[in-house]
Amino acid sequence: MAKARQLSQQDIEELVERARRGDGAAFGQLVDEYKDKIYNYVSRMLNDPYEAEDVTQEAFLRAYRSLPRFRGASSFHTWLYRIASNLAIDVVRKRKRQEPTYSLDEPMESDDGEYEREIPDDSGSPEDKSTTRETRVAVRRAIMELPEKLRDVMILYELQGETYEDIAEILNVPLGTVKSRLFNARNRLKDSLEQLVAAGELEVES
Amino acid sequence: MTCEEVRAELVECWGSTEQLTTAATEHLAVCEHCRYEARILRGTSVMLHSLPSESAPEGFTAGVLQQIARQQGQTGWAARLGQWFVPAHQPSWTRAAAVGTAIALAVAGGSMWAGRGSLPEGTQQYAGSASGTIAVSTPAATEAELDDLMRRHQALQMTQPLADDPGVNLVVYTTK
Repeated sequence: MAKARQLSQQDIEELVERARRGDGAAFGQLVDEYKDKIYNYVSRMLNDPYEAEDVTQEAFLRAYRSLPRFRGASSFHTWLYRIASNLAIDVVRKRKRQEPTYSLDEPMESDDGEYEREIPDDSGSPEDKSTTRETRVAVRRAIMELPEKLRDVMILYELQGETYEDIAEILNVPLGTVKSRLFNARNRLKDSLEQLVAAGELEVES
Repeated sequence: MTCEEVRAELVECWGSTEQLTTAATEHLAVCEHCRYEARILRGTSVMLHSLPSESAPEGFTAGVLQQIARQQGQTGWAARLGQWFVPAHQPSWTRAAAVGTAIALAVAGGSMWAGRGSLPEGTQQYAGSASGTIAVSTPAATEAELDDLMRRHQALQMTQPLADDPGVNLVVYTTK
């Protein structure tokens, strides 16, 4: 789960207020506080580290530009998540329009050449690395195959540790909708990985 | 209970049999299909929650602050520090730790200036080098202080990121 840093809620509120008054240093501290959490969330939504960085950066830029309009009706972190979620969903939908057969496995192209979507895992023996990598690829694939509305809720709840209430606020949907989407997401994820287990590609501990 | 009802309970708790109702537990004892479902759900949960967290790239905060400064058309401290501490040839997303360090110190309310010889009163050594020093104090850096930093940076002939250059090292002093 993406870790939050050590600032208290009061510290956050003070920093937000200072940033709203134009204190760039305060905003910098807010970026430091939330960058890993938001990046991890966006990265899970998009499964692309470069695109995740761009979107995460844009989320903070938009937050900075929108700060004068932030009145504290929601917490800063749910507000920031909402910005990031909207941006990530935009990318997902754009991909669908541009690449109907978006590949989860093919390398991405950049100006510096191709790069793999999968972030290398340097821990463990070669056998462990291979099994771990296969597992992670399979799980990431299963997450990416979820419709974006289910993926969003699954990532926010299971990987980001957000509460049902905060997720409802982030996504601007009723609490019941959050629970329903999470239920459906879990079922679909289970179905995706069940097929792989049946094919003998993954082992599931009993 | 029907299998459908039991499986709904299993999904709610990721297949954990400890959290099931008594009726669901009794059903599992006699239903192999639902026991299999529970196993798959538990395994799915383990795999899902074993995904490692991913952190924002090095220098991310500095990059955001630079973008803000650029978009505002300013030459404030964020843009100036980024300009001087980040080699032009480096891709934006691989900025050296130096930028993050420099910006982090600046956003912590510090100002920076460089000097040779004895440390300014009220400062303490953060890291040492024979080549040059940077002192940090509060409040936030003024443009005059940054101009002085830039001149001394040139004088030190810094061409590498702060953390990487083995020869001429910018070092940072913090106030007590």
